[in-house]
Order: sequence, then C-alpha cells, then structure tokens
Amino acid sequence: MRKILLLASGATALALSGCGGLTGSDDAEVEVTNTEYPEQVYWGDTHLHTDNSVDAYGFGNRLNAEQALRFARGEEVTATKGEKAKLSRPLDFLVIADHSDAMGATKAIAEAPRIALLGNEFLLRWHDMLNESEEGALQVTAELIDGAAKGTLPEELTDPEEQAERTTELWNAHGETVDEYNEPGKFTAFMGYEYTPMPQGDNLHRVVMFRDGADKATTVLPYSSQGFAGNPENLWEHMAAYEKDTGGQMLAIPHNSNVSNGRMFEMQKYDGSPIDAAYAKTRALREPVVEVTQIKGDSEAHPFLSPNDEFAGFGDAGWDQCNLSCTRKMAPESYAGSYTREALKRGLELVHRIGANPFKFGVIGSTDSHTSLATADEDNFFGKHSANEANARDRALQPQNLGTREGRFGWHYLSSGYAAAWATSNTREAIFDAFMRREVYATTGPRMTVRFFGGFGFTADDMADLVKAGYEKGVPMGGDLTGGDGTAPSFLISALMDPESASLDRVQVVKGWIDADGNSQEKIYNVSWSDADNRKADADGKIGAVPNTVDLTKGTWDNATGAPELATWWQDPDFEADQHAFYYVRVLEIPTPTWPVYDALKFNLTLPDEVIKIQQERAYTSPIWYTPKA
Amino acid sequence: MAETPRLKKLLKEPLVHFLGGALLVFGFFWATGSDRDPADYAIAVDATDIDRLRAGWIRNFRREPTATELDGLIDQEIREEIYYREALRLGLDRNDPVIRRRLFTKMRFLRNAEADLEPADAVLQQWLEENPEKYGGTGQFDLEQVYLGQAGEMDENRIAQLRDRLNAGQKENAGKAISLPESLQATETETVARLFGEGFARALGELPVGSWEGPVLSGFGLHLVKIANRKAGTIPVLDDVRQQVRNDWRAAETQKAEEGEYQKLRGQYDIRIAGQD
Repeated sequence: MRKILLLASGATALALSGCGGLTGSDDAEVEVTNTEYPEQVYWGDTHLHTDNSVDAYGFGNRLNAEQALRFARGEEVTATKGEKAKLSRPLDFLVIADHSDAMGATKAIAEAPRIALLGNEFLLRWHDMLNESEEGALQVTAELIDGAAKGTLPEELTDPEEQAERTTELWNAHGETVDEYNEPGKFTAFMGYEYTPMPQGDNLHRVVMFRDGADKATTVLPYSSQGFAGNPENLWEHMAAYEKDTGGQMLAIPHNSNVSNGRMFEMQKYDGSPIDAAYAKTRALREPVVEVTQIKGDSEAHPFLSPNDEFAGFGDAGWDQCNLSCTRKMAPESYAGSYTREALKRGLELVHRIGANPFKFGVIGSTDSHTSLATADEDNFFGKHSANEANARDRALQPQNLGTREGRFGWHYLSSGYAAAWATSNTREAIFDAFMRREVYATTGPRMTVRFFGGFGFTADDMADLVKAGYEKGVPMGGDLTGGDGTAPSFLISALMDPESASLDRVQVVKGWIDADGNSQEKIYNVSWSDADNRKADADGKIGAVPNTVDLTKGTWDNATGAPELATWWQDPDFEADQHAFYYVRVLEIPTPTWPVYDALKFNLTLPDEVIKIQQERAYTSPIWYTPKA
Repeated sequence: MAETPRLKKLLKEPLVHFLGGALLVFGFFWATGSDRDPADYAIAVDATDIDRLRAGWIRNFRREPTATELDGLIDQEIREEIYYREALRLGLDRNDPVIRRRLFTKMRFLRNAEADLEPADAVLQQWLEENPEKYGGTGQFDLEQVYLGQAGEMDENRIAQLRDRLNAGQKENAGKAISLPESLQATETETVARLFGEGFARALGELPVGSWEGPVLSGFGLHLVKIANRKAGTIPVLDDVRQQVRNDWRAAETQKAEEGEYQKLRGQYDIRIAGQD
C-alpha cells in the first residue's frame, strides 16, 4: 500500500500522508565479500533531485524516487515530458539528494485542496499558478529560488516545525523505497538529501549522505537550513549528534562553489570570525569530498586565478558572472573562494598559519539533475530540469532567466558529471568509506579509469604492476605522504580511456605548494600525452593542442588522435622537503562535441557563434598531500 | 487569523474562512426543505478507521497517541467527512480543474496500489524465467585477449601472422601493453561490456570457440580473442536476485495494470478528435 500516498490525504492539505507500511524486506541478508584492496572503480551520482525537491516539482518533474533509482540502475523510464530515457550504461550507486528545505512543499501546495488555502493569499497564488500552466509553475519556481536567496519566503516553507510535519512521512516512505532498491554487491542506493543555504543568493549548498539504511537515517529528519540561510557549522553539529545517537555515519559534500561569490572557501567562518584549528578539523572531518563538476558548471579552476593553465576555463562560461540567484555580480577578486584548486592552496596556507587544514578534500562529479534522471553523456543529456528535457527544441538557446537572472543560457549547462569511487565492494559501507578516505575522483561524464598513487620509494619498474606497488609502497589518491628522507616523492599514474567515449589527449599533475614566504603557488606538469613522438614539450613544459577531429555536421571525432591509455611514473622535479604541497591528476580527453551540437543535429538548429561546441572532457583526482617532517 | 497564517493552523482549522458562506448556503437548502437521503447522514468510524488513524500518528511522531490526541484525530476525521459530503452536495467538485486532475491522479494511484500486493514465489520465478538477461543471465565467458593497438596501427598481414603464431601456441611478446585483463574466467557478459565496451561484448557472441580469432573491435582498438569456453545464459536462482526481481515485477505490473485499465475504460467511450475522423 506504499504508493497510495495521495489517496488518503483528502482535506489534510499539506500533510502528505501514507497509508500502511510495506511488508518489510524479508530477503536473506546478501553476503558481499570485500576485496583486499579496491580493485574496481564504481560509478555513481551523489546529487540527484526528484519530484520531492521544491524546485524540481515546480520545474515540472513528476518522476519520483523509485523511477530515479530504476533509471540509475539502467532501466528505461519515461521522462516527465514524455521522452523515453535510458542510460547507455547503468550506474553503480545513487544518492537521491532532494532539498531538505521545503521538502515536498511544491508538490503539497500544488496538490492541496484550493479551499484549504483560501486564507493564505501567498500560497493560494502559488497553488493556482502551479496548476494553471507550465509557465505558471516555472514562475513559482523562479520566485521560490529568488525568495530563498533574499530570505523572503513565507514561514510555511522555512519554519522547522512546519517542515517536520510535512517531512516525516515523506522521509519514512522515501527510506522504504531506497532500502528496497539497495542491492548489496549490485547497486547501492544511499539515503541522503541536500542542505541548501544560500545567503543573499551565494551558494553554500551541501549534499549530505548516510552510510546507513533507513532504519537509522529516518531517526532524524533531513536537516534544513532554516530558511535557506543556515550556518554550515550547524549541519556539522547535527551530523555529530546523529553519529553519537545512532552509531551511524554521515558526510557532507559542498558543491557549486563556483556560484558562491567567494564564500564556499572563504578564509573566515560563516559569522566572519577567523578560522581556528577546531573549525578546520571539524570541517575536514565532515566534508571530506567536494563536488567539483556538475550541470551548473565546473569549479576546478578559473583562468583569472590560473593564467598559466590553458585548460582552466572549462565549464566557467556563464557561471562566473554572478552568484547562484544572479542577484549579485561576482568580481574576479571573489574567485579565490570559489574554485577548488585555489581552496586546496588556501588549505595549505592555513596549515602554515594555524596548523590545520579545513580544505583537505577529495573531489567527485555529480549531475545535480532535477529531472530524476542522472544523465551526464553529451549525446543523451536530459537537461537541468524538466522544462529543458531532451525533447525541448530550443533549450540550448533559451535564456535561463528565472527570477532576476540574466546572462545565463541553456548552453551554459554542462552535461556533467559523475563520481568514481575506488571501493572494495559495491555496498553502502565500502563506497561511503572510500568517500571518507577521499579515494574518489571526478569526471565530467566519461568513465575513464584513473589510478594515482604517491610514495617515497617508487621506481619506474613499479609501473609493471602499479596497483600492487601502489598500495604496498605508497598511498592512493586522497592519501597523505608525511616526512620521507628528503628525496622527492614519486607517483604511479595511469588513465585508461572510457571505451564508449573519447581517447586521451594528456595526463597532467597539478601541484600546489607553500613557498618560503608562506604564499601558495601552483604549477601544472604534463606527464604523459598522446603521440609523444611528434608532440614535444617546449622550454616551459607546454605541449601543443591535440588535433581537433570533431565533425560538427555529424557529431563525430576520431579516436586515433588520442591514446587509449596513458600511464607513467613521475617524480616531482621541483620538490622542496620543507614545503607543504598537494598533487592531483587531471586527465583530458581529445576534443569532442558538446550536447548542444547533438541538439542542433537532432532539431536542425543553427547554433550562434558564442555557443561552445567543442570541449575536452576530463577527470580530476583527489589530491595526495605532502607534509614535511615535524 | 493573521494575513499569512501558518499552515499548521490551516491544517487544524481547515475551511474556517469558508464556513460562514457554506453555512448560509446550507441553511438555504435546509429552510427550503430540499430532498435529503437520511442514509447520507450516517457516519461510522469503525475499528479499522481508528487503527489507521493511530498508525498514521505513530509513523509521524514515533509514539502512541494519548487518549485525548486520538479523540482529536477522530474528531478531525468526522469533521473532514462532514465538510467533504456537504461540499459534494453543493457541487463544489464540479468545474474545478484541480479536482479533475486530482481524481485523475487518484485513479492512477489506485491501479498502482493493486500492483503492490506481495507476489508469490511462483510469480517471481516466472518473471525471472521470462527476463533472465536482466539478472546476469546473459552468459559467461572464459577468454584470453591480446591488444593490437588502435585500428590501423598494426597492418592486416602482421595481425594475421600474430593470430597464426598464437594459434600455434606462441604467446610471447604478442600485442601491445594496456591495463586490461589478458584473461577472464567465468565472466558475465555485462562485465565484459563494462571493461571493453558494448560492441566488443556483442561481437564475442559470434566468435568460434577454442581458437584465436579476430581482430575484434573494442572501444580501445583491436584485439585478438580466444574464447576457451562460452556458457549460455542460465536463469539465476531466485533467492540470489529476489529483491531486484520483485522491484522489477512490481514496476512492470504497475505499468501493465494501468495501461490495461485505461484501455478498458477507453473502450467504453466514443472518442472523436478534430481532423482525425
């Protein structure tokens, strides 16, 4: 009887009521054996919205958690706007991350009897708009995001008690669905949600995920930011309390620092006071991973911050102009707090200054799709939300001027990204633990297999069995190298192309460090690249661009230009034993078409010049940190 | 009531704004002696209803309601029922697009609810036998592969020579290095596809068993492949995949029931569409 959610609700207005519980799962516990070390990379999306998200429903999404799980697992579902949708390959895990703030509220307002809202002009207007037309619903969503940014939403959507009344049943029912679809060893369904503070429209959002099943996760309600304005330190406290009460575990994943107006990685606390060691340690513990790439742009690097990095501008267009709600312009001076590479450098500066690093994080990609469909392939992209699903002809060209926005167009959305986790099995526990030890990486959609180990004793011969050597003599991505005998650390690196995507242009190591004056620096090393016989590094170590083989009239490219695999042993040539440093790997595919190109071919559109049509998709690994001997 | 009353209050006092007006209309019908079926005025709150109310409370608040709280719930139930019936009498359900959509949704959910019955093992077993490919029943391979580089990298004669050498049992220094497994044992087709790409896995189905064959194209380039053993897809044991089978069965059943019901209903209607006569 789980699904007759709405039958019994009658005049109980916003209380979405369920009716009877499903007979609990009576399956014998499946035994899943963990491998000794992570042998396989598991692919997932940790950031997916369904019709329980206040904005997703307003955008038109009518697919629920079950359909989202079925889709992620590889089944065909019918998208809200009627198009059949199926992933080219299943994902291994999924976190449904509906906004905790006002969870289920638009659905409830839309479905409430009109008569019950007669005394409330504000909600009544939204109710009518939601039901009247698609444009009306979009307008409601725009007002909602705008109101969230400005802090002008009515109490009904922000008051914790109101939240609790509406959310309790919804969250319990959600837990049942997620548990039903969690199949240890085959597909992992995580409990989770999104915590959504956005003071003045500056994005401070975090995805929250549980290591535990519904039995524990539903003993707490999705923690709200209490009016889209909360201090993330409150969330960390909530997480600690949950862990103490239940013996369970949670982690938080900041995202879209690119539209935080410099606030996601600012050099002070939320309340403006200076960062101290206690704050730094708590943050690093609670937020071991950052989502670096997704539909709303890429947050790895910006050309303003990294003028020597010719690949720094990926996914920045449109997103670097103004904050999330586009209510505040963002000056380049704010970028340092908005991009992850700079944050990693700031982290080292703080180690130098206060002895602890709040920004010691690994990275993943995820979609942030609001369609219940976790798509990140350019030729199978279902859009940011249901108003720009795959069958919307002009979606690439339409302005995304919700609320007071300006300057962002459909084509600015990226068909990105996915999270890759080196875990010892496909289970909640193993994947969550991989996140905690940061043995994860991000891609903008393609599923390239990337290994990255650091150590003091590696030799080039270790490449013969780099996984074995990597774990025995070093640390994997996300790990720490401390001390050493003063010789430079070396690294075992391999990147295997996604057999369903493009071959590889190059593998780079991005190094950040603190110089003798306490200032952070960065340098990018090309360590392995395709056609090395003909493409030579110049005096600065730069390698020319790989030939572009994209045929825009067909949406094709030639994989012969790139390498199927790039692998190398590499030692830092500029190592200084007394300087804190981090190293991460960036893998670039050869140039391929962006999703608007496929739309143009499908709908016979002419794309204006400013639309980016060719890109180099990429992977970013979590860093390995070097700490000098004390 | 404040201008933007809290929803909680609305929940507890639904329709208050409407009450005055509704009573006036109601009074009119009372005074003019409209026909009324006395049976329509009976409301029975039976034990099942009370259990349902109690269960709802427990799910919400994680505890039993007190006697007063339960009385409150029952009172609310009666109040809703009365207003609901009066609203129907007043025809408030007509010409309202929201109610129309709501009833549409309910009809759909009704069908879903029916499909939610717990299926018998035999039903699941049958589903499994009809759809074995969804549960790893796609066959397994024991195979070896040698990577030849990207298409065009090695000329055809060289590939033919290499294949002959391999078939003569000389495996030394064959092919190019890549971090893909050189041999796979009892590996599911879907795992092969995950490692080498969909096209490669498909091509394996066509190859003779027991000899080096190819080149076979993968996402990485060309390979010579020797399939030592190809096991046809078998039907997995239900207990190993029960949860997934039950989920899939239920989803399919829901869809089937909904579509069937719709077609049955639709068959009763005479439908005309402009321009499609």
